[in-house]
Amino acid sequence: MLRYLFKRFCTMILTLFGVSILVFFMVHLIPGDPVTYILGDFATNEAIAKLRSEMGLDQPMASQYLSFVSGVMQGNLGTSYITGQSVWEEIAQRFPITLKLGIISLLIGSCIGILLGVISAVNQNTWADYLVSIVSLLGVSAPGFWIALFFIYVFSFQLAIFPISGYAGWHSLILPSLTLGLGSVGNIARMTRSNMLEVLKQDYMRTALAKGTRYWKVIFGHGLKNAFIPVITLIGITFGNLLAGAIVTETVFGLPGMGSFTVESIVKRDIYTVQGLVMFLGMMFILTNLLVDLIYKWIDPRITLE
Amino acid sequence: MLENHKIWIIFLFLLVLTGCSTEDTTPKSHDASKATNGGELVISSVREPDTLDVQKTTWVDNANVHLFDYLIGRDMDGSIIPGLVKDYTIADDGKSWTFHLRENVKFHSGEELTAESVKASMERFIKQSPVNFLAGPITGVEASDKSTLIVNFSEPYAPFIAGLTSIYLSPLDPAALKSEGDKFGNKPSGTGPLLFEKWIRGDSITFVKNEQYNWGPDDAENKGGTNVDKVVFRFIKDENTRMLEFNQGNIQIMLDVPPSSVKTLENTSGVQLHKLLDNGLTYLAINNDKPLFQDPKVRKAINLAIDRNQIVQYAMEGYAKPMYGPLSPTIPGYSEKVEKMAEQMYTRNVEQAKQLLHGAGWSNVNGNGVLVKEGKQLSIELLLTDEPVMQRIAQILQNQLKEVGIDLRITVQDDSTIRTNESKKMHDLILWQYGWSDPDILYILFGKDIPTRLFSTPELEELLIKGRQTMDEKARMAVYEKVQELLVTESPWVPLFARERITAYRDIEGFKVNPYKKIVIQDIKLKKQQ
Repeated sequence: MLRYLFKRFCTMILTLFGVSILVFFMVHLIPGDPVTYILGDFATNEAIAKLRSEMGLDQPMASQYLSFVSGVMQGNLGTSYITGQSVWEEIAQRFPITLKLGIISLLIGSCIGILLGVISAVNQNTWADYLVSIVSLLGVSAPGFWIALFFIYVFSFQLAIFPISGYAGWHSLILPSLTLGLGSVGNIARMTRSNMLEVLKQDYMRTALAKGTRYWKVIFGHGLKNAFIPVITLIGITFGNLLAGAIVTETVFGLPGMGSFTVESIVKRDIYTVQGLVMFLGMMFILTNLLVDLIYKWIDPRITLE
Repeated sequence: MLENHKIWIIFLFLLVLTGCSTEDTTPKSHDASKATNGGELVISSVREPDTLDVQKTTWVDNANVHLFDYLIGRDMDGSIIPGLVKDYTIADDGKSWTFHLRENVKFHSGEELTAESVKASMERFIKQSPVNFLAGPITGVEASDKSTLIVNFSEPYAPFIAGLTSIYLSPLDPAALKSEGDKFGNKPSGTGPLLFEKWIRGDSITFVKNEQYNWGPDDAENKGGTNVDKVVFRFIKDENTRMLEFNQGNIQIMLDVPPSSVKTLENTSGVQLHKLLDNGLTYLAINNDKPLFQDPKVRKAINLAIDRNQIVQYAMEGYAKPMYGPLSPTIPGYSEKVEKMAEQMYTRNVEQAKQLLHGAGWSNVNGNGVLVKEGKQLSIELLLTDEPVMQRIAQILQNQLKEVGIDLRITVQDDSTIRTNESKKMHDLILWQYGWSDPDILYILFGKDIPTRLFSTPELEELLIKGRQTMDEKARMAVYEKVQELLVTESPWVPLFARERITAYRDIEGFKVNPYKKIVIQDIKLKKQQ
């Protein structure tokens, strides 16, 4: 186990190194730099040159990259020159919101998805199965911003149950999470259904039923357990996608999370912030994948991690 | 085999994870019955400031000005009024300005406003502001006594008044500068009618009333701090979300209403709209470095091909004023004479535009409507940002130019990319806008050390410098009239229109906007809701 973790740690370092090269060159090669944003309409040649040298943007690429990487190695993700705050401070303010949003969406998406998947597998090729397919299809294809506005209009504007936008604690997260979660219901339901159909054919299911165990207990107790592993993989992948989907959701609901912040930083050419955020999100992705693998092992001891 | 309890453990773990951080759960209260004084005023704005340190940014708007006072103000009609400066004199040689400060003004920290503190702010501005060109060729600032400040220049610099009447040169609280230093933007403090309370980045900024304030400027009826106890700026990017919040009454003032929402708001009871002409223009920048555009015939043909009224009517829903000359009517130095002349020269005339292009050697050979010269089609690219209004304008321009035989290709890029292309002269045309309250904006657009400058002739260069150095107001404006005439005859760019900024408000009294500053925040009272 320790050896496995060490190996994973080494690949993680390599991956992050790759990410750092990619993100550095991406933000440095797109046209426009922080100076064009900061000086805006009032840029004189002299002011541009002065600011560029103050920010170290006139240094050779290689030395700029080295100072970025050595900063990251010391746990310093850099400082936003737009807000003057360190990237860690910005993340500390915004990441909790996006993390909560992601996790609640994941819970909503998986619960509904697994339930629908089981229902449609058990009732294969009946109206219930088709209904679930249609609902899944809708969930996958309806655009997030449209669902978001629909929810806001009905639940916040007409019924006034939830706040329309902004962040003021738990009740602000319910609608955005529903919006985000619905997008993943379809995939999880389809995956659960196909795995469940496999499992339903197995001998041990028939045996359990023959022994007189209650039907639903067999389905959920014996069946779902075995259909669950691939679904967990999907949930892991979904979590990554949720962080990406948060961009639209956060913008529509006016949540001060990571998604909206990342887009804003890119538009403002806040290169240090973009670099820092991408490194951080890369780390999150890697850790999520590691967690998923460890959960496999824990759930199904037959799986070996080597 | 998977044990059931393990699934529960995973779920519980996730639940704990989401709940294990502290958070502010105070719901935003919107009490429906409020007294006329006190209460909380909520204003929605689209663009969040980058920082509240006004010496670190070029972008200032309502969300970051009310902490500070203007050194010198402008009244509703643009005339100079006292601010923190009671009166000032300029030496005969134009190289030295003497300011007499108002007494008994206190910063938010309780420190008194003195010539020393104004000097410290001004020196910091010169050292680090991205707009420090507003201080021009300054040689030194001295505080000759407690309330007298003298500013010296190496040569006369008239646009200094534009700096003095802007928020960039407002005195900052010396106590906050000392304790925060470079991080002043996190705890900003000045002498203004509002105090900083908190900033939730990406969400809102909250200000509270300055109880000790009693030095309000002439354009405010209420000389004390605000009537309301709190002012909250909320930043909501999504247009639909903003409209819903406003319609539900959670927002009293909605800034920058897009033209497309105006009709809906006009038909909503209890909502009032305020329109204000911008101190700036939307225009087409032409790359005069390209051989194609070095021929004035081509530039004039483009100018003549465009029907500004159509653009204003269909893209701006009528909320703009068609403009033919270089300055919008609210900028000092605007000349009606020049505007009339420009309108006569460049009112749409397809025939004349075609003739000019033929004269420049372009002819119609293919019969597909696009002109050709030496085997090359007259096809030009227009860069613009993704603002919906801009995209509508671009489509209208495309149609209008097609009628004179020009093929216009539309390319959407983000702001920074366009600026970079502009400074490298990689563009043909850009749909651009400027905004500033002094005719010196023409230096910023056409001056000699500006990398993005649109166009230049020795005469223009000379006039723009003369405009900076002429201290007598009347004589100075006469110089700018000449500049404007020159720009109209050369047609190095195509002015299109001045936008009307539309603000919607409800449930408040005493709303007014000073065109040269911002909302007069002190005079607003919340109305009792029925």
